Amino acid sequence: MGPPSSIKKKFLKKWITGLQICSSSKENMSLFERKKAIKLSADVAMASARNATTCWSRALIANASKDDNNKILVDHILGTESERLKKASIGSVMCNNKRVRSKKILKKSCSFRRVKKMAPQMVLASSIAKRLVKKRTLVLKSLVPGGEAMDESSLIEETLDYIISLRAQIDVMRRLANASEHLNLK
Amino acid sequence: MLQCQDFFAGNGTDITVLQSQRAILTRQLPQWNYVIDNKPIDSSLMPQFRGSINNDSAIRSMEAHHCFDHILPDFGGCQLGVTEFPGDKVSFTPSEIATSSIDMDHSLLLNSSRPLATVAAAVVAEAKDRDSPLTQKTANMTGGDSLKKRKAEFIMAEDSKEESIEREAGDCQTSSNTSKVSEVQKPDYIHVRARRGQATDSHSLAERARREKISKKMKCLQDLVPGCNKITGKAGMLDEIINYVQSLQRQIEFLSMKLAALNPRLDFNLDSFFAKEFPAYVASFPTAATSPSEMANLAYLHYNQTQEGDPSSGINMAVNPTQIESQRIASSSMSVAEAYPDTSCFPQVQPLSTWETDLQNLYHREFH
Repeated sequence: MGPPSSIKKKFLKKWITGLQICSSSKENMSLFERKKAIKLSADVAMASARNATTCWSRALIANASKDDNNKILVDHILGTESERLKKASIGSVMCNNKRVRSKKILKKSCSFRRVKKMAPQMVLASSIAKRLVKKRTLVLKSLVPGGEAMDESSLIEETLDYIISLRAQIDVMRRLANASEHLNLK
Repeated sequence: MLQCQDFFAGNGTDITVLQSQRAILTRQLPQWNYVIDNKPIDSSLMPQFRGSINNDSAIRSMEAHHCFDHILPDFGGCQLGVTEFPGDKVSFTPSEIATSSIDMDHSLLLNSSRPLATVAAAVVAEAKDRDSPLTQKTANMTGGDSLKKRKAEFIMAEDSKEESIEREAGDCQTSSNTSKVSEVQKPDYIHVRARRGQATDSHSLAERARREKISKKMKCLQDLVPGCNKITGKAGMLDEIINYVQSLQRQIEFLSMKLAALNPRLDFNLDSFFAKEFPAYVASFPTAATSPSEMANLAYLHYNQTQEGDPSSGINMAVNPTQIESQRIASSSMSVAEAYPDTSCFPQVQPLSTWETDLQNLYHREFH
């Protein structure tokens, strides 16, 4: 990840482009429509600012471009890279699905054997802790875009990256919000 | 054997240890040679193992040998494998070695700066301390056994090298473990501890190394997430991370809602936004700073604590009066400095706007 300020600049540039596209495509939007458009364009801009080097950004772009209404917006924000990025994102999603399935099968076959081997009290103690961690891991997977397809170590890595990006995004959004607030107050 | 000794002298990282153990080494080396030269298991040695140790451990050592044979070609020959082999510190508790070789509790610290030879010396030195010949033999055997294990772990260490995050995390740990290791070239090692009854085959070792990797990354996350330092345990840490990510996502929701409410036309046209209204915006600073809505902004207050805004670098042009004014206000109230848009961001939006020149003109008119 580059210096945070360059990421912020990139993000802002893409976001503003996205917002302009949004505002030009539709004239009278309700508050919620506007909010949705702002959020979507911000998310996609952040993902493309990360240059699709990470799983979460690819997954986010893939999810956003699923919807036909958003497709134009996503294309515009991504700009010239859109083809390459999309291809990468679709490919990664597909291969991830495959990996998940094979992992599930493997888990099934493994867990059967393991339960037999362990002593009864060991199972009780460790399984409680395991279940706690598993539950939270699942929640975290649902929070990070594309997290369902990750294994544990890459999930943590992606979470790291995602948190940093979210922080940058919030920072820029907050500044813009404050600026426009002052403009309106005047 | 001569070649091996040359190799010892050539490396010379732990010469003092070597010199003190030279006599012992020459005596013990034949047992090590079959490992180093990758010969098939010496038939004259195996009966000794079988005689002294129970069957289970002997079989285990056989398995380890197989895995060793598989691994070695990756290193392009025996010599390379030996020279690249990371050194380590092997510590046994004598009672456990005496009972069974599987029950050994050894902590392996891989470090690429230390040659294998010194490892052998260390192991042999430890073995020497034991009184009875039986335990000595067991120690030798376990030394051979753990050697293969180290081999397996070394490969894991190699593929973990790519991860920079891990390296960061490893830095803090190596500093505490340099007592025996004379010099540290790269902080790449995996510390794997096999407890009583734990499996020592390559699969369990891989699993353990994976867990180590995850916990290192978790440590990085812990540093990143505020308020996560005091929490021990993976579940609690994950809880905190989940809360943090959720709060960040909620803040984005909130901010986009706020922006939507503030801008009825979704018109973030920077041309008009800054070129026309910026001077007025600056002029309205003192009154705006005291507005109650600004103070009531919750997310805003939260962010003042967690991350201070970037040091305002100022606009890269002749707007000195603005900057001075904003700094003066910032000293009296932080919120104004925060409200002041990140000026380092905006020069990048040049393709979209020509506000810089407009603004410059305006300022020339107003201040000069």
